[in-house]
Amino acid sequence: MSAVVPPAIAAGARAPVQAGAPPLVVAHVAKSFDADGRVVPVIGDLSLTLNEGEIVAIVGPSGCGKTTLLNTLCGLIAPDSGRVSWFGREMSGQPAGVGYMLQKDLLLPWRTALRNVMLGLEIRGVSLSEAEERAHVMLDQLGLHGFADHYPTTLSGGMRQRVALARTLVNEPDVLLLDEPFAALDFQTKLLIESDTAKLVRESRRSVLLITHDIEEAVSIADRVIVLSKRPTRVKAVYDIALGTERTDMIAARESAGFVDYVRRIWADLDVTRN
Amino acid sequence: MNGSPLPPRAAADAGIDAAAQDAAARRLAAHRRARLRAGLLVLASQVALLAAFIAFWEYMTAFDKQAAFMFGSPSAIAGFLVTMASDGSLWRDTYVTGVETLLGFLVGNVIGTLIGLSLWYSRFVSRVIEPFVIALGSIPIIALAPIIIIWFGTGLTSKIAMSTLSVVIVALVTSYKGAVGVDADQINLMRTLGASKFQIFRKLVVPASLTDIFAGFKLTVGFALIGAIVGEFMSSSEGLGHAIFKAGSLYIIPKVFAALVATIALALILTFIVGKVERLLMPWRRLG
Ligand SMILES: Nc1ncnc2c1ncn2[C@@H]1O[C@H](COP(=O)(O)OP(=O)(O)O)[C@@H](O)[C@H]1O
Ligand SMILES: [Mg+2]
Repeated sequence: MSAVVPPAIAAGARAPVQAGAPPLVVAHVAKSFDADGRVVPVIGDLSLTLNEGEIVAIVGPSGCGKTTLLNTLCGLIAPDSGRVSWFGREMSGQPAGVGYMLQKDLLLPWRTALRNVMLGLEIRGVSLSEAEERAHVMLDQLGLHGFADHYPTTLSGGMRQRVALARTLVNEPDVLLLDEPFAALDFQTKLLIESDTAKLVRESRRSVLLITHDIEEAVSIADRVIVLSKRPTRVKAVYDIALGTERTDMIAARESAGFVDYVRRIWADLDVTRN
Repeated sequence: MNGSPLPPRAAADAGIDAAAQDAAARRLAAHRRARLRAGLLVLASQVALLAAFIAFWEYMTAFDKQAAFMFGSPSAIAGFLVTMASDGSLWRDTYVTGVETLLGFLVGNVIGTLIGLSLWYSRFVSRVIEPFVIALGSIPIIALAPIIIIWFGTGLTSKIAMSTLSVVIVALVTSYKGAVGVDADQINLMRTLGASKFQIFRKLVVPASLTDIFAGFKLTVGFALIGAIVGEFMSSSEGLGHAIFKAGSLYIIPKVFAALVATIALALILTFIVGKVERLLMPWRRLG
């Protein structure tokens, strides 16, 4: 692990940042919701660690609390108990240097692709010309050269999700929290975007926590797959994925020898029974 | 990041290919022609319907003095329109009512929209004032007319006040609905990008509410016009409402209809302008 303190965190840090601390440590987090006066425990007792430059996938049965977990991590909701530490610092509220992306692209329809990508930079007060420059570079890197002035309604689903990815990456987050970002895409588009995402984040050694219900996606892209149990959710199993291929090519990953075995074991863990 | 660009992939992703694009362009053109034809057919049917109605009306009143007195006749209405146009009263009355309507529309919508949008800021305040807004919204504006005249006199101001009051609650409610209807995930996204509440308001809530705000504008054009005309009914020396009222009390029914035709034309022109401004301000709505 590198001891370099990520700039986005260091810049905004008031409490000292522990050099070499993992980007994200979740310790014994629990969360319940109040549904019509009934207390529904959603996250039971959950602990996990995300190391630097690592892609970790979280799979779990639908409705088990994956989105709730992600919302807790990025400070949108507060956990009932437990700790969330970013780079060794315990946080409540919005962590700096964390990018968030959902299945819905959430592009603003009144902004062009370029202006959508510029949103986070604008919010942080980056000058317009610099924001424009960086957004252009990001769109080009995601293969959207020439689509900067397109409004979202004129783009395909895959391209819209690329713009959303550009909007996240342009802020140069140290950690990406992705909540089923590719779930709505067709198979082919999905493979291409997964590969490009893996390439971009591995090149820059960003850390990624990817939530998905797609076991094949998890195995092909991640270094580690964490399987969650049903509600109240906790970690059921952890798999270190060693496929022996270049981890930026999703097609090669899916064709590699160990792939099917991992998928089968995780599938068994998920315990999808017909009730 | 020292990323290599990935254009071939995106191209595959977008399905860009010269021949396919050509075919798509041809299909689009054919689609446009078909739509134009359908539009023309609708327009032709509307004109035919109107012409048939006018012909029937003319025929029924041509040989019947009693009916002609009670219902007027299209030719008599046209005659009044010509006289009113040549003596200038048509333009003067339309102009006066137009100005009252436009000012009432603008003042009412600006006030209503500003309040409606800013209520997004505080769920507490909006819950406190909700019953009052509903109560005020249920008052028939015509019932306020006598008081308005006492407060604002018999001139232009009272007509603008009537028009404003007819607009303001609708504008408030539609813009508030638009503001609170903004997708919660979209707000969360803004928060994770580090946006302050004011940035969320300005960069997300206001533009996202534009669709509802413009729906309110279209609705309130008519309300503003009604407010102005009701104000003119109560007391006035000019305006279309004045012309209608005066002709009505003198039993000159074709003249009432002539002024009504001008009123309808005014409503159509104002609605057309609102639509134009909407398309100008929301270019993304035209696409997709
Ligand atoms: N704000 C909330 N209030 C009450 N219940 C909630 C709330 N958010 C989520 N839940 C419940 O928590 C459970 C987990 O939801 P979620 O985290 O979205 O699941 P997943 O993303 O794993 O499909 C669901 O049963 C859902 O109904
Ligand atoms: Mg979810």
